[in-house]
Amino acid sequence: MAVFKRGYERYDGPLTGAVTRFLAVPRFVWPRLLAERFVLVLLLVSLFWPLLCAIFIYLSNHANLLPNLNEGGDAIQKLLRIDGRFFATFMNIQSTFAIILAAVAGPGLIAPDLANNALPLYFSRPVSLASYIGARLVVLFGLLSLVTLLPGLFVFGLQASLAGSSWLAGHWTLGQGMLLGFLLYILLLSLVALACSAYVKWRVVAGALVLGFFFVLAGAAQIVNQVFRVEWGSLLSPGYTIYTIWCALLGVETAADAPDAGECLAAVLVLLGALLAVLLRKLRPVEVVS
Amino acid sequence: MNQIWIIARLEIRRAFFSRRALWVYLLALFPAALFLGRGVSVNYDRREYAAKPVTPATLLDRLPTGTTDKDALAAAGPPIRDRQWRRGKVEHRSLHYFDGYNRVWLQFENGALQSTRRVPLHSFAQDSRIYAGVFQYFYLRLAVFFGCLGIFLNLFRGEMIDKSLHYWFLAPVRREILVLGKYCAGLIAAAVIFGGGALLSFGALLSYQTTADIETYLRTEALAHGFWYVLAAVLGCAGYGSVFLAAGLVLRNPIIPALVMLLWESINGFLPELLQKLSVLHYLQSLCPVPAPLDPSAPPLARMILSPAAPASAWTALPGLLVVTALVLYLATRTARRLEINYGAE
Repeated sequence: MAVFKRGYERYDGPLTGAVTRFLAVPRFVWPRLLAERFVLVLLLVSLFWPLLCAIFIYLSNHANLLPNLNEGGDAIQKLLRIDGRFFATFMNIQSTFAIILAAVAGPGLIAPDLANNALPLYFSRPVSLASYIGARLVVLFGLLSLVTLLPGLFVFGLQASLAGSSWLAGHWTLGQGMLLGFLLYILLLSLVALACSAYVKWRVVAGALVLGFFFVLAGAAQIVNQVFRVEWGSLLSPGYTIYTIWCALLGVETAADAPDAGECLAAVLVLLGALLAVLLRKLRPVEVVS
Repeated sequence: MNQIWIIARLEIRRAFFSRRALWVYLLALFPAALFLGRGVSVNYDRREYAAKPVTPATLLDRLPTGTTDKDALAAAGPPIRDRQWRRGKVEHRSLHYFDGYNRVWLQFENGALQSTRRVPLHSFAQDSRIYAGVFQYFYLRLAVFFGCLGIFLNLFRGEMIDKSLHYWFLAPVRREILVLGKYCAGLIAAAVIFGGGALLSFGALLSYQTTADIETYLRTEALAHGFWYVLAAVLGCAGYGSVFLAAGLVLRNPIIPALVMLLWESINGFLPELLQKLSVLHYLQSLCPVPAPLDPSAPPLARMILSPAAPASAWTALPGLLVVTALVLYLATRTARRLEINYGAE
C-alpha cells in the first residue's frame, strides 16, 4: 500500500550513550522486581544457608573454644574442615534458590513484549538484538548474584579472613572455582529463563516451564539411568552437569563411573547453544498475521 | 449435568489439541518410549550375549577384594571387554565378564579389585521394581504434576490472559456449572493422556519379557497391577487438577502455590508420618501395587533420614483423595461466584 501523506520525520538528533541505553532495562526492572513481595521473601530465605555456613566457618576456625571438640578425633576434624566439598554443598543449595528466583523473575522479561507485539517498537529504536538479550541477561545476572555470587564470596571471604593468609594461599582456587562455577550457572539459568519466556509468551506458563526444565530433566535423567542401567543419562540433567563442573573446579571427586567434568561441560555448552538458538529464533521483530 | 457436559465438550478440544498440549503428551509418553527403547536394547543384548564366552559365576565369586588385576585375569580368563582410564591419581580398570545370566564388572583401582558389580542380562522382577520407581518418582511426582499444571491452569488463567473469560461469564449458566464443566474437560483430557500414558508404559514394560514370565504374570497380578497404576494416574490428575484449577482462579501468579506444592511433595519422605499424610502423593503411592525402591542417587544421609509413612489402605486413599478434590472444587466454585474480571492486571 502506498503511503502518500507522511506526517513524521525521522529523528536525527543526538542519541543517548550506548551504555546508558543498554542499562535502561536493568535500571527500571531491578526496582520493580525488588518491590515484589515474593522476590523479597525469597531473597531473605536464601540468606539463611549462607548465614548457617558463616556460623559453621566461625566454629571451625574457633574449634579450641569448644573444649570437647578436640577429643572427637579425626572424624570431628574432618567434619569441620572447610574444603572443596563444603563449597560444593554451599553452591548446590544456593542454586535451588536461584532456580526459584529465575522462575519468578525471568518470565516477565520477554514474554510481555512478545504477547503485546512490542518487539517492532523496541527494534525500531537504536537497540540491537544482542543488546536486547544482553540487557535482560544483566537483569537476571544482578538478581541471581544476590543469592549465588555475593553470599558465596562473603562465605569465602569470611573463611579467608578467619583462617589467615596461609589458608588463602593454599586454597585460593576454591574462590576462583566458585566464581567461575557460579558465573557459568547464572549464564545457564538466565538463558533458560529467557528462552522459556520467549518460547511460551505467557508469564505464568513460562515460570512453570523454568521449574519444569530443571525438575523434569533431573527426573528424566534419573529414569534414563535406571531403565537403561547406564550413567550417561545424567548428562540430560542440567543440575547434575553443572554440579559435576563445580566439583571439578573445586577439586572434589565425583563418582568414578559417572560422566566426567569434560563431558558435562560439553553437555552444558550444547544446552547453552540450543537455548541461544531458541532465543534468536523467537526474538524477531516481525508480526505475523494469519 | 447437561450444561456441564456442553461446557466440557467445548473445552475438551482445546485441552487435547492445542499446541501447548504437545509437551504434556511428551511428558506422558516419555516413560513408554523409554521402556520401548529398553525392549529394543534387551533384545539386542540377548542376541549379542548368546555369542559371548561364558565365565562360570563360581570363578568370579572366588575373587576377594584386593586381588590384583593380573591374578583376576589369570583366574577368570580373558574378559569380554577391558577398559582402563585414569582419574586424578587413580588408575581405573574395569574387566567385563558374562556368567550366563549376569553381566559382571570387576572394578580395579591402582591394580587392586575394589568391587564386583553384577547386572542381570534381564530380570522381570528388577524391571518391575524399576517401573514402580519410574511411575512413582517421575510419572506421579513430575509428569502428572507438571502436566496438570499446564492443562488446568489453562482453563481459567489462560482465558484471563487471552482476555476471553468474559465470553464465558456472559453465557446464561451459573458460575459453579462453568467451573465444573471446565474441570471435567481438564480431567477427561488429563485422565486420557496420563492414564493412557501409564497403560502404554506398562504395556511397553511387558512387551520384551520372556514368554514364561509374561504367562505367569498375566495369570496372577498383571491386570490388577495395570488397573492400580492407571487408577493412581487418573486420581493424580483429579487431585492435582482441582488444586491448580483453584489456584488459577484465586491467584494472579499460580506458580507460587505450584512451587510450594512441588517442594512439599518433594520433601514429603523426610517429614514426620503425620505430615506425610497431608500430601496427594502419599495417597497416590499407597495405591501403587509395587513399592518404589529408595532413590539410589540420594545421598546416604538423606536415605538415612528418609522414612516413608506406612501406606494408606486403598479404602482410605481412594475416598480421601476424592473428598479432598471435592472440597477444593467447592472452594473454587465459591471463588468463581465472586470473581471479577480485571484484564488490565494481567
